[in-house]
Amino acid sequence: MSSLMIPSAFATEDVRRTVLPNGLVVLTKEVHTSPIVTNMIWYRVGSRNEELGQTGKSHFLEHMLFKGTDRFKKGEIDLLTLKNGGGNNAFTSHDFTAYYFNFASDRWEIALEIEADRMVNCSFEPEEFEAEKKVVIEELKTGLDSPWGLLLQEEEATAFKVHPYRNPIVGWLQDVERATVEEQQAYYRRYYHPNNAILVIAGDFDTDEVLRKVDRAFGSIPSGPDAPPMLLKEPPQRGERRLIVRWRSKVPRLSISYHVPRVAEPDSYPLQVLAVILAEGKSSRLYQRMVEHEQAVTFVSAEFGEAKDPTLFHIRAEARGDHSIDEIEASIHDELAAVCRDGVNAHELNRAKHQIEAHFILSRERTLDQAILLGQIETLHGLTYIDSYLQRINAVSAADIADVAVRYLNENNRTVGQLLNDGSDAREEEDDSEAE
Amino acid sequence: MKPSEIGLRRALEVHSHTLRNGLKVLLVDNSSVPTVSLTSSVLAGARYDLESKAGLAIMASRLLDEGTESRTSLEIADAIESVGGAIETDGSFERIIATAGVLNKDVDLGLELLADLVMRPIFPQDYVDKEKERTLAEIASALDRPQVVAGWAFNELVYQNHPLHRPSHGYPQTVERLTREDLLDFHRRYFVPNNVILSIVGDFRVPELLPKIENAFGDWEARPVEFPEYSEPVRQTGKRVKFITMPAQQLNIYVGHLGVRRTNPDYYALQVLDTILGGGAGFTARIPRRLRDELGLAYTTFASMTMTAGLDPGRFIAFIGTSPENMNLAIDGLLNEIRRIIEEPVSAEELQDAKDYLTGSFVFAFESSPQIARFLVHAEVYGLGFDYIDKYPQYVRAVTVDDISRVARKYLDSENYTLVVVGPVAEDGNLINGTD
Repeated sequence: MSSLMIPSAFATEDVRRTVLPNGLVVLTKEVHTSPIVTNMIWYRVGSRNEELGQTGKSHFLEHMLFKGTDRFKKGEIDLLTLKNGGGNNAFTSHDFTAYYFNFASDRWEIALEIEADRMVNCSFEPEEFEAEKKVVIEELKTGLDSPWGLLLQEEEATAFKVHPYRNPIVGWLQDVERATVEEQQAYYRRYYHPNNAILVIAGDFDTDEVLRKVDRAFGSIPSGPDAPPMLLKEPPQRGERRLIVRWRSKVPRLSISYHVPRVAEPDSYPLQVLAVILAEGKSSRLYQRMVEHEQAVTFVSAEFGEAKDPTLFHIRAEARGDHSIDEIEASIHDELAAVCRDGVNAHELNRAKHQIEAHFILSRERTLDQAILLGQIETLHGLTYIDSYLQRINAVSAADIADVAVRYLNENNRTVGQLLNDGSDAREEEDDSEAE
Repeated sequence: MKPSEIGLRRALEVHSHTLRNGLKVLLVDNSSVPTVSLTSSVLAGARYDLESKAGLAIMASRLLDEGTESRTSLEIADAIESVGGAIETDGSFERIIATAGVLNKDVDLGLELLADLVMRPIFPQDYVDKEKERTLAEIASALDRPQVVAGWAFNELVYQNHPLHRPSHGYPQTVERLTREDLLDFHRRYFVPNNVILSIVGDFRVPELLPKIENAFGDWEARPVEFPEYSEPVRQTGKRVKFITMPAQQLNIYVGHLGVRRTNPDYYALQVLDTILGGGAGFTARIPRRLRDELGLAYTTFASMTMTAGLDPGRFIAFIGTSPENMNLAIDGLLNEIRRIIEEPVSAEELQDAKDYLTGSFVFAFESSPQIARFLVHAEVYGLGFDYIDKYPQYVRAVTVDDISRVARKYLDSENYTLVVVGPVAEDGNLINGTD
């Protein structure tokens, strides 16, 4: 059994971590292969911080940050991105909100100016807020028209009773509809501070020079009060939970989730390896069984997602032909029982480790990918996680995997969601009306 | 010359070779990451499928890694996944593509597997049967998505009898009738070295790699290829309108008509037009700015002529996903912007911003090895030349306000268009109340 060739520390090599007096964490990494700079800012706030009746606040705020400040008027952030030939976007998760700009390395510094300004000076024009609310509601509806989006939303709401991971990131429709500009602004004041943010800059620049510029742009912003602590803990699940979502599709879909630990907990490593053994690539167990031999599904996936709080391990599959959802579910349970009973073999364990290693390297080519890795891990846990990541993966044994399978992927700890037909016609097609 | 362009040129030194059997080899040594991306492109695709055998090319592409003369499907998957690599095979209207992504130490294996897949696939009967079932199931699943249904209906109306009228993977009734013999015929006919481009980008030395390529592909025998002929698509001369009923939160709306080929000399002027009308950075273009930012009608709305330009003429598409009550406002909004850019000259500032955006963001298309490998194929197939990096900014900078007016009048049409609406709407275009 060969061991992994490359230590994961390469991803944090040459990363400099600087903390400004106001608490802003700055991660810089020089990458001179392309004349590009990615500038990202991460706020330690996401849907996990939202209170009952206030869901969707983090995501709505992300939209508002493009609506302008006193200095950068409405539309100007995008216009500057256009004029400078760059790209920008943002995303919100359960755990964080992140914004990025990509620019050529001779003009990227405008990104610093924009991020520093909108950290504290975001305008909350009531008219703009109401206009953007419509856009957010359209986004929310797009999600409801997606079968997987809908099933996942209902499943998380069932698997979590207490912890805010139960709420959709975009929010519940009613909460978004009655959101007010005052509440939204208060939320911004509570969470957008230098001491609740991480600035990541990756690309073609000189670190010392850039750190001086960062200090000039952000140094004078006062730190804010510490964000309120997140005190909600999900109580242990005491038995299987099941849910059915009725929808117009004739294709049944299945999602099973298990409560598992947060990122960087010792058990998180064998769970990641197990996800790969189960469903990554055509040689994986569930693929071989359900796609190849039983031919019961079009695809099957297994995923351990790194999260700040205890999270879910998801297995998903989509039925094909006349195969019933019960038959598919039984196969998954049976395969997991086999792992609990017999463990995994050395060959598949080794293969999975190589897949994780290669993915770690293959998916870090662009400066944006590197900035995302650094920002996400600093937000969730701290960069030390990356330094030891592949060593920890490499240390996982077959016994570790059987052990986590027994303790987490069991009946009492699972939520089973099925999306089934609601009896309506999936699609009615009418004749063309031609007017040629 | 701007620094970004100098950096780009350095990164893109293309080594072009043709083997004695006609196989075209394009290599770029990019040692910034210890990986290699290998792509073989067979220059035949769904555009050559007979109407009665629609789906043949895509099915052939998806079966390439399901068994060769000397390897089973599982042996192929296990070999590549054991080193953490990945193989993907897929097709489009124009090409059949097989790619392997590996760490640099595994380039020999990647090359060997890729050669085996394209030269010696056997399309095992049991996999043909499985793939047919799976394709049928995937079509059923795709019909759950209103945007997919709208896109397919749009293509049928725009292309009429031209091969691009159909989904590239065919129809259920044609997929059901495909046989193993059809697949073997397809392979015999088009998979010859003189019809293949092999592009490899990543961490390797050219003089070391060339003999290995010769070794893997050199014995493959050249043979003349006969390509089927079909008639040109015809631009519509009236309106074509179709409403498709589907219970959903949103309406998915396509407006547009036939577009242009990638080789059209007006392609670059049209790219600038696209940036002003419906693309660009953030929501700066006219359609997203007006329909999303100002009117709040949508989360997703855009327009493009050049996005689908290929060997065959693509489509001009304007899209919006919006709540049912906004239908007329949305359709009028799209048509108004199309009409305005045909009738009124764009401003000098809009033109300059769009040109700065295109020339400045060009560098982002060359950040990763898979992106560069894709560019090499495009450069070869569309005759762009490997000095395209130098020429592209010149093409864009040469575009004038008059050019935009000229190409808008020549290629856009606000009267003779196809309109497809999918969602809670009746066949006569009236909204259906009380859907979910």
